[in-house]
Amino acid sequence: MIRRLETDVVVLGAGPAGLAAACSAMEAGARVVVVEREERTGGILKQCIHDGFGLLRYGRQLSGPEYALRDADRFGSLGGRAMLEAFVTSASRLEAGGFELACVDRGGAFLLRSAALVLATGCRERTDRQVFVHGDRPAGVFTAGLAQYMINVQGLLPGRRAVILGSGDIGLIMARRMTLEGMEVIGAYEAKPEPSGLSRNLRQCLDDYGIPLALSSTVTAVHGGRRVEGVTTARVDGAMRPIPGTERDLSCDTLVLSVGLIPENELAKSLGVPLDPRTRGPRVDQNMHTLVDGVFACGNAVHVNDLADYVSESGERAGSSAAAYALAGPGSPSRVRRLSPLSAGPGCLYVVPQLLDLAALADVARADDVCLYFRSSSTMASGAVARLAAGDAPGAGGATLLERRYRALRPPEMERIKAPAGSLAVGPARPAEPGPGASLIVEPIEPEDR
Amino acid sequence: MLVIPRKQAVESPSSSDEEPIRSEAVSRPDASRLVGRLGASLRSRFGDSVEASVDRGSIRLEGEAPSYDDKVSAGWLAARYGFKGVVNDIRAPGEADERLEPRGAADSSLDGSYYDVAIVGGGVIGAAIARELTRWDLSILLLEKESDVAAHTSSRNDGMIHDGFAAKPGSKKAAYNVRGNRLWEPLCRELGLDFKRPGSLVLFRTAAAAALYPAMAARARRNGVDGWEFWSRARVAAEEPNVTADQRGAFFLPSAGVLSPYRATVALAENAAMNGARVALGACVLGMELDGGSITALRTNKGSVRAGVVVNAAGNWADVVAGMAGDRFFSLHQRRGTDMILDAETASAQRHILGMPRLLQLHSKTKGGGLVLTVEGNVLVGPTATESPGREDYATKPEELDRLTRHLRLNTALSMAQGITYFSGVRPCTYEEDFIVERSERVTNLVHAAGIQSPGLASAPAIAQDVAAMVVEAAGRFRRVAPRAGWRAGRAAPPEPRRLGIEARDALIAGNPAYGRVVCRCEEVSEGEIVDAIRSIVPATDLDAIKRRTRAGMGRCHGGFCTPRVMELVARETGLPAWAVTKKGPGSELCVGPTKAGPRRSRGDAAARGDASGGAS
Ligand SMILES: Cc1cc2nc3c(=O)[nH]c(=O)nc-3n(C[C@H](O)[C@H](O)[C@H](O)COP(=O)(O)OP(=O)(O)OC[C@H]3O[C@@H](n4cnc5c(N)ncnc54)[C@H](O)[C@@H]3O)c2cc1C
Ligand SMILES: Cc1cc2nc3c(=O)[nH]c(=O)nc-3n(C[C@H](O)[C@H](O)[C@H](O)COP(=O)(O)OP(=O)(O)OC[C@H]3O[C@@H](n4cnc5c(N)ncnc54)[C@H](O)[C@@H]3O)c2cc1C
Repeated sequence: MIRRLETDVVVLGAGPAGLAAACSAMEAGARVVVVEREERTGGILKQCIHDGFGLLRYGRQLSGPEYALRDADRFGSLGGRAMLEAFVTSASRLEAGGFELACVDRGGAFLLRSAALVLATGCRERTDRQVFVHGDRPAGVFTAGLAQYMINVQGLLPGRRAVILGSGDIGLIMARRMTLEGMEVIGAYEAKPEPSGLSRNLRQCLDDYGIPLALSSTVTAVHGGRRVEGVTTARVDGAMRPIPGTERDLSCDTLVLSVGLIPENELAKSLGVPLDPRTRGPRVDQNMHTLVDGVFACGNAVHVNDLADYVSESGERAGSSAAAYALAGPGSPSRVRRLSPLSAGPGCLYVVPQLLDLAALADVARADDVCLYFRSSSTMASGAVARLAAGDAPGAGGATLLERRYRALRPPEMERIKAPAGSLAVGPARPAEPGPGASLIVEPIEPEDR
Repeated sequence: MLVIPRKQAVESPSSSDEEPIRSEAVSRPDASRLVGRLGASLRSRFGDSVEASVDRGSIRLEGEAPSYDDKVSAGWLAARYGFKGVVNDIRAPGEADERLEPRGAADSSLDGSYYDVAIVGGGVIGAAIARELTRWDLSILLLEKESDVAAHTSSRNDGMIHDGFAAKPGSKKAAYNVRGNRLWEPLCRELGLDFKRPGSLVLFRTAAAAALYPAMAARARRNGVDGWEFWSRARVAAEEPNVTADQRGAFFLPSAGVLSPYRATVALAENAAMNGARVALGACVLGMELDGGSITALRTNKGSVRAGVVVNAAGNWADVVAGMAGDRFFSLHQRRGTDMILDAETASAQRHILGMPRLLQLHSKTKGGGLVLTVEGNVLVGPTATESPGREDYATKPEELDRLTRHLRLNTALSMAQGITYFSGVRPCTYEEDFIVERSERVTNLVHAAGIQSPGLASAPAIAQDVAAMVVEAAGRFRRVAPRAGWRAGRAAPPEPRRLGIEARDALIAGNPAYGRVVCRCEEVSEGEIVDAIRSIVPATDLDAIKRRTRAGMGRCHGGFCTPRVMELVARETGLPAWAVTKKGPGSELCVGPTKAGPRRSRGDAAARGDASGGAS
């Protein structure tokens, strides 16, 4: 007999996002089942032994595993149980509302039904073939996260002499980690004219160890048939095409790629959840509710955050909203949303949430501060203003709903605005009709303006 | 002195497709006259830098050519003179000194052994021959220098079982292709492999091209192709809604099929092993001992093996292996092909194989590439065809990928952005541009299956039948050969839980919980499947071998998540330390050793589960 389980909320993934969602859903009174593919909870944090986690959430610097331990303790003390080494093979929406997940674990196949679903499936890394590195496929080409797992979790040294492609944070962190393990890190090559990692990591992981970073440069080819023997680097033009004549051959046995993260949304796609092409995650409202009723999403599955603290924050919100949705039951008026678009205007790379549920904002019982997460689309070194304007036409310049000033903005550094619910009263008063929405506009401040 | 411009030399129809200067075997008095004519022709192209001579019935070319393309052109030219073969020893820039190198340390595991048949090469050809030969009560050894079968061309191709239309009428390629096409479907059923027959549409670009239909039908009839049909523009559009508007109808070949070439090779080798053949992996043939015109022993990195009959199925090394027996009557040149695999989401984008060859290419060496389907359904774009030295040089190049983009125009639903990966393979080609499937004329106990370029995969079962018959005949000289009692045609394919219904999957996991632990998340591959591959009768002990058998690491994260877990399973099953696990055999170790803190406990270790940060299980 196939096992059948039924619950209020199913949380997929037990990383920081999923555990925060599970805890907040349990605190809101819902029955929760967490499904995690790995043998332990904690998600990617298990392999992040460096510190830099928890400053916002716990007011102190923790390592990844320490941060994950706090999540696990809280989850455990609420009586939470995760189904570990369990894998969702397919997900479907039920006619009568709610969801059914087909899963497997060592005990067999089972079916899991719930009223609400929280997707906290994290992200994956982009690979060499996606950035068109040519050559054969020798051993010694690793994504930064894979090298991180090998060194930190398995205790294995991936090579002796490494080149890093890309300047993403994980690559920077691994440049330092590999150096400390006695590897020689020749340098990092970034195709864009600006680094894509956090300034803090550039300083602490490259500069402090004398590892050079070459901007507007890339790796075009890997040499070696069995193990990496070297790479060819080249400078690139404005369109990121290699400039002939600038090629240089470097000898190394390892190429580490840190060329971006992609939210994992295969299950979301199979449920018909619309994604935002800019973030590659689901479009969500301020309660992390996707466009499919009952499906919530949080953490790096929604957009790639640079701090685990923000990941947890989105998880808390997703969990409590999913619990409220599940407990309200079918037909409840509180389940009726009135969605209005929140778009990324000029100067804004993306903004999350992409939607505002005006019904929830108007309901005093539920209205809560709204967190807006955004990145600027270019470096604004001498200062910037982010302005939330009514009306979603780019540059529409409707009434300013709120405004924040920054000393500087860089695309790698995500910003967060906590806005009081009342400040976001946008859209028409009539229900069930999408309003003109709002857009977030980011403008640089020229030095003389300051 | 260089007449043929580089580009044209590569893309022009092969000289062997042109009228041969002399088609029957060359008789002795003819030879000197013909070689004189060839010499004159070569001089007009290359000056005095290239020389031709006759060496035991074959043409031998020597000297220096300004480029590899020129060297190949000279070989093609020589092939038109109807000698036994072309041995092309011209040197060209860019050619490296290539030597057969055994992988890893030598041992004596084969030393002193005897087999009735030794097959050199574990590609699809060697594996198919091994399996075919197990029908007879012969002792069989399959020698493969890599740590797995299908490590070379047989895993680097389009997986297409061609209809046989494109091969030159009258060639071995045409005959074997059509026969092989009929054999693969029942063979796949026996071996538990997927086989699909989507059929192939050769699209016409212009109305004038459509007028070629009668000529195409005549060619298909000559080749014995199983069925063809003219499809109007409207019919093509109706059956392939995403097809380009730029078509003027198509020549439809319903017999074109697809399968997984590496899974097929593995299945053939496994079935051969089940029926008693010994598959020696990591065993490289480095030389041969001869006595009175027969091979007596093979020198390998695992000792000396005595053999009754030797089969040369060495792919891109077949000319070198022939040379070991003193029978180098042909040379191979290498034609590289690059393919791009598109995401599984393209599985619904087209139903047939699509191609739109240029008119000239109908007669050329390759079929010009197109949009092929994998047996899983996603679209494969390619292959390209470029003469390029390097028997095992699989480096991809940006210009090859650029060439692939033109095929994408055929299907409006496809774009390069859907690419998940790309790869290159190398076709082993003779200058006659045809297969060599024959008993050696000089060595009594040697059979060649050489120069097996495209459509070699499609032809493999038919080639295997003929080679087996030749081997049995040769073996008949020293022993009586009877059919093997209890031969098993079938192979129970290992379970693939993701393809089972929920009840069947549950039952499978109840029998073995490892089928319930998903290791590769993108392709949903369980620990049980990986362990099956490692413990197979033809064991997979490196990451690429496991990937070929199970698809672990083949999905969108390219092994980013499952690599450590697969490494640990290999380590656990083989007793190797995790850092010594390789990507593709010795020399491709994934790690160099432990970190300062030393290796951690294996995650597969029960004691490690549930402790530390998790705590919530
Ligand atoms: C390889 C890698 C390395 C990283 N290294 C760093 C770093 O050094 N520092 C840093 O700050 N950030 C790093 N990150 C970013 C990291 O994603 C975040 O810091 C943080 O862990 C995100 O939390 P999350 O809960 O959204 O996702 P994750 O921590 O990734 O957790 C997602 C969880 O969901 C599970 N899951 C996913 N799909 C399913 C499914 N279908 N069924 C069951 N379970 C599922 C996963 O197993 C995982 O446990 C890294 C990311 C990656 C991909
Ligand atoms: C890009 C591309 C696309 C193609 N597409 C198709 C297609 O769609 N359909 C089709 O029918 N054909 C296709 N082909 C052709 C097909 O792949 C080949 O014809 C076929 O794989 C040849 O098989 P093989 O066994 O002869 O060679 P291989 O697979 O190369 O096997 C030879 C083996 O011999 C081993 N070996 C060599 N020397 C020694 C030695 N001394 N000792 C021990 N072992 C040795 C090698 O390691 C190798 O594994 C394609 C080819 C390419 C390159």
